[in-house]
Amino acid sequence: MKDAIDIPVRIKSENGLSRFTENTSIKELSDETLAAQVARGDSSALEALYDRYAATVLGISLKVIGDRALAEEILQETFWRVWKSAATFQPQRGSFTGWLFRIARNLAVDTYRRSNVRPQAINSTKDSDSFLDQVPDTEADVPEQAQSVIRHRQVRHALSTLPREQQQVIEMAYFYGMTRHEIAEATGEALGTIHTRARLGLQKLREELGRQEFEG
Amino acid sequence: MDREIEELLPFYALDALTDEEKALVEAYLSEHPEARREVEQMGGAVSALPYGLPQVEPSPRTRAALMARVAVEQRANSTAQNQLSRRAGRRENLIRVFSFGFAAVAIIWAVFLNLQLLRLRSEISALNTAVAAQSNALKAINAKLAQPTPPSVITVSLKGTDVRPQAHGELIGDPASQSAVLVIAGLSQLEAGKTYQVWLIDTAGPKSAGFLVVDANGQGVLILSAESAIGSFKSLGISIEPSGGSSKPTGKIVVLSDL
Repeated sequence: MKDAIDIPVRIKSENGLSRFTENTSIKELSDETLAAQVARGDSSALEALYDRYAATVLGISLKVIGDRALAEEILQETFWRVWKSAATFQPQRGSFTGWLFRIARNLAVDTYRRSNVRPQAINSTKDSDSFLDQVPDTEADVPEQAQSVIRHRQVRHALSTLPREQQQVIEMAYFYGMTRHEIAEATGEALGTIHTRARLGLQKLREELGRQEFEG
Repeated sequence: MDREIEELLPFYALDALTDEEKALVEAYLSEHPEARREVEQMGGAVSALPYGLPQVEPSPRTRAALMARVAVEQRANSTAQNQLSRRAGRRENLIRVFSFGFAAVAIIWAVFLNLQLLRLRSEISALNTAVAAQSNALKAINAKLAQPTPPSVITVSLKGTDVRPQAHGELIGDPASQSAVLVIAGLSQLEAGKTYQVWLIDTAGPKSAGFLVVDANGQGVLILSAESAIGSFKSLGISIEPSGGSSKPTGKIVVLSDL
């Protein structure tokens, strides 16, 4: 396991910012705190965020692109943009992961549109196994890894409760970046049907995640 | 509630709208808080989707490349910062040197101005003394001028001859003095090589008293001087003579009057 980077312990100050005393691991800091440190030019905070989410970001880009080399480039570019634009992240407007995944997804979709590489389906055979059966990482943080596995299973379970048609509309919109008209044309369904499937699919997904007390 | 826009909300949460559709939805959300809440809830579900994907451990090279890129930028920023600091330092030094130089020049200039001021004050003082002396002298002259004109100064009218009957003038002076002022009008300007010569005539004959220059208006003034007192001469004449004059009148006489 990688050695933790010692930085000051976090103390909430009057203005809402955090300051630190020594001997607390950077890995204990929240995403938002790390993002604020990145915005101040702290590269160790960027490394911590990378270690926390690189596997998920690579999963997104590989899902959209289907090409490992391109997906690794998108991963690097995603975190480079985090490094350059962390100051523009506003916690009050959404979670850090929402912001991070949107960057990765948009980069991947743009690359996909340019290269016309076919993305993989969420329920493809490559995706059917547990994340722990993928490439092992002997240096990964065990609690974080465990948390990732739990999240993965929760989302997959929630998705499995959706009808296949609703999953398909959500996948095409989110991972392919297809517009509703493009989806209607690709599936041969009426536009109104696509609207209904998207709305019902997201509502059901939200309800299932809530039932499982999912924490993103 | 706008049904068409409401249908776009799930696709807004999925970030799968065209730019025009996105603008429509954002305008709608700004006025409909219930719709904004619904989008936020759907957005929470959308942001969970990546967790449903298999996580793929990236190559260590990707991490190394990223951090190398970051390190290069940090070094570049640090270098730029240092250069800025050095430039600022050089600028401060220049300003300091310039300030000292400026202060030195200002001091020298102030000393020079003070010396000039002292010199000028001294000159003004001397000039004031001179002005006071001149003023006293002027007062004395004015006092003399205020006295009535001496009765010895006389004015004699002069008339042209038949050669120049329109000529006329006056001779002003003290008969006891050897000089007087001759004022003449009505004469014409002479051709080149000719001149008007003034004569004072007594019993011994005419004696030259000077040359009269006439202007374009036919006027001329001459302070004439004589070898003896003006009052000792019987008459005054003006003749036209060759340039340089003659010892005796040889040309036409244009003015002749008794004194």
